[in-house]
Amino acid sequence: MTITVKKVSLKRTASDQIYLPAILKGLVTTARHFFKNTLTKGMGDVDTIRYGEPDVNVEDYYPQRFRGVHRLMHRDDGSVRCVACMCCSTVCPARCIYIEAEDRGGDEEKAPKSFVIDELKCVVCGFCVEACPCDAIRMDTKAHMHPTETRADAVLGKLDLMKRGTQSVAHQGGVGADFRTAAPKADPRFEHDPR
Amino acid sequence: MADTTPPKRSRSSATIPPLAPEPPPPMSVPHSGPIPVAMGPDLSPVDAPAPHAPNLPAEPIEGEDAVSMTIDGEVVVVRKGTNVLEAAKRLGEDVSHFCYHRGLSIAASCRQCLVEVEGMGKLQPSCQLAVQDDMVVHTKNDRVAQARQDMLEFTLKNHPIDCPICDKAGECTLQRHYMDHDQSLTRVDVAKIRKPKHKDIGREIVLDAERCILCSRCVRFCEELPQTGELTMIRRGDREILDIADGHRLDNAYSINVVDICPVGALTSKDFRFAVRAWELRATETTCPGCATGCSVELHSKHEQAYRLVPRFDASVNGHWMCDEGRYTYKELDPATRTRFASIDGRQLPIAQALAATAKRLQGKKTAAVFSSTATNEANRALAALADHMGADRFVLGRPPGKADDLLRDADKNPNTRGAHAAAGEVRHEAELSLQIAGRAYEAVIFLDDEGEVSGVVRSSLSSLTSVILSDRRNALSDACTIRLPAASWAEHVGTYTNRQGRLRVIRPAWRPEDDRHPRAELVRELLLALGGRDIGTAREQARAVAEEYEHEELLALLTDPQPTRPRLLRFGNSRG
Repeated sequence: MTITVKKVSLKRTASDQIYLPAILKGLVTTARHFFKNTLTKGMGDVDTIRYGEPDVNVEDYYPQRFRGVHRLMHRDDGSVRCVACMCCSTVCPARCIYIEAEDRGGDEEKAPKSFVIDELKCVVCGFCVEACPCDAIRMDTKAHMHPTETRADAVLGKLDLMKRGTQSVAHQGGVGADFRTAAPKADPRFEHDPR
Repeated sequence: MADTTPPKRSRSSATIPPLAPEPPPPMSVPHSGPIPVAMGPDLSPVDAPAPHAPNLPAEPIEGEDAVSMTIDGEVVVVRKGTNVLEAAKRLGEDVSHFCYHRGLSIAASCRQCLVEVEGMGKLQPSCQLAVQDDMVVHTKNDRVAQARQDMLEFTLKNHPIDCPICDKAGECTLQRHYMDHDQSLTRVDVAKIRKPKHKDIGREIVLDAERCILCSRCVRFCEELPQTGELTMIRRGDREILDIADGHRLDNAYSINVVDICPVGALTSKDFRFAVRAWELRATETTCPGCATGCSVELHSKHEQAYRLVPRFDASVNGHWMCDEGRYTYKELDPATRTRFASIDGRQLPIAQALAATAKRLQGKKTAAVFSSTATNEANRALAALADHMGADRFVLGRPPGKADDLLRDADKNPNTRGAHAAAGEVRHEAELSLQIAGRAYEAVIFLDDEGEVSGVVRSSLSSLTSVILSDRRNALSDACTIRLPAASWAEHVGTYTNRQGRLRVIRPAWRPEDDRHPRAELVRELLLALGGRDIGTAREQARAVAEEYEHEELLALLTDPQPTRPRLLRFGNSRG
């Protein structure tokens, strides 16, 4: 097999030397895109979402499982669903969830006294939502964390997080017969407590 | 044994609430009882054996008592009378069990430890079965594994599985056995039996009868250790519940032990309830500083804050147990009251400057050196060297005596009375200290620790002389002194106590002392150097000298270890109870 060598000589012409024709060529290209994308109906090739403008609905563009700023869901009575099991703060790789528990009273017993998420530390991984055993924390707000003026404003407390929350359709305590309400009451000997 | 109901505790309180309603005797009145006035405390070692532990781990043995048997094809030789469960543990087979506990009698009620014995038709509970010669036991064949899984399914039938709100989650034996032996979904589709969910059954304890798996460990504990027998099982079958006897409450002085031995979260401690999850804690093996017994304990802490003390098995001192009073000594470690920086006449100073200024003020003054029976041997020995150098008079100060019983609690509420007196040598009585200070007989006084009762008159006269205190937490005494040097608390350094039996008890650091805090032995060493004395070595070197003197191999190993072991994360701590 023979190898053929093609010699190319790069000669600088006078027009290359003065650069101006190339600059003008570039300006023409820019101008062409500019007029095409601003004057053409339907915005030409542009696929930019005009986020934040009132007529734009973000939900049309964002994927279904987009993870936005956190929210805490409510129970039927409007109290927080969370039982302060600390699963989310344990699994959180950024360690940005701080929970203090208190006694709620009643059979559920435990509730968060304070539930704080430092949204500046949050890496938006969604592990907290995965870990939650009672559908209390969600990231389905489709909202980004708003820019804040101070760092402290980016640290959201329980009430901030509950503002975005709604009543959850999930069954508190899991799917299936609720053994607390469905417990048999037939045996009067058991119901009777002499003390 | 049963105490009267004490005032309610709050988590944030820094002081240990007194279990006894009567106030401690004032400082000026000589103590009656265990510490005679003229003679000083009786320092002869007390023969106080640990509470009886009926079931000890199997040890290798030869001779007449030896029994040879086969477990899972391996031959094991153990002492006659050992149960099969312990023999299997010796081989590393962890036979699952709920009701069996080494410190209690055997009930064999949970049926979780069933094993197959060749020649016996039915499966046998290995905790109740004594070893016999030529016995052949299988602990993990299909039949046993199936039985184990079936028993777990039974146990879980009425268990509420509310692990997210259960304080035992993370250190629960039922959780561990489910993960090890079952891992199957429930097949039960009928309603679970409702039982009392949170019943206040005592000063320290809340009962959740739904979580209870009826192993009866707590019942046996109350009958066998404090022998008060407040707990019992009532009703039958799946309606059976744990309850307190009519008219009684679980108020004995050892009640929180039932929380430790409960294999599930049925009995929870009010103090620890909802405070923190078990898997967030780190465990440090240390010694309870609550009394002269010096029980082996684990300090459970997170982020330089202590959350609880739990007993650690020690055959020679406390067995498996500790008292409720001792558990609350961790409240001394409250970060809110810590002494963090040195201060002289109310002005905060860097520690080096403060030490130099203190030495300057102490130079050539008539000084009282107040040893402390709550401080470590090393600190007391260092102060002895300083007192020698300065020609100071010696006193020993400690907490006033409290309640005692035959089980673990000692009337002497100081962990190191013996060590302090051994270091101090000839001492004057502490009552004299009050008189001398109030009468301005001394120009300077050095307190080794801020524990101990000092009257208001003395406190007010402390401000007019050079009063130095090595303080780890703020209280009335440390606030009254003119010079406060920040010392590391008992959870922040290696040290030793000498308990009532004359045994060396080791404390270990759960976290590094932050800010300007240093071990007392080290602060005294710096003072001594600044006063032109000899170098007595760092706190670790002093501890090593003590360890060599007592030939304490465990402490020697700890001090010579180039990479000191960090507190163990309970996340990897397996189950407790």
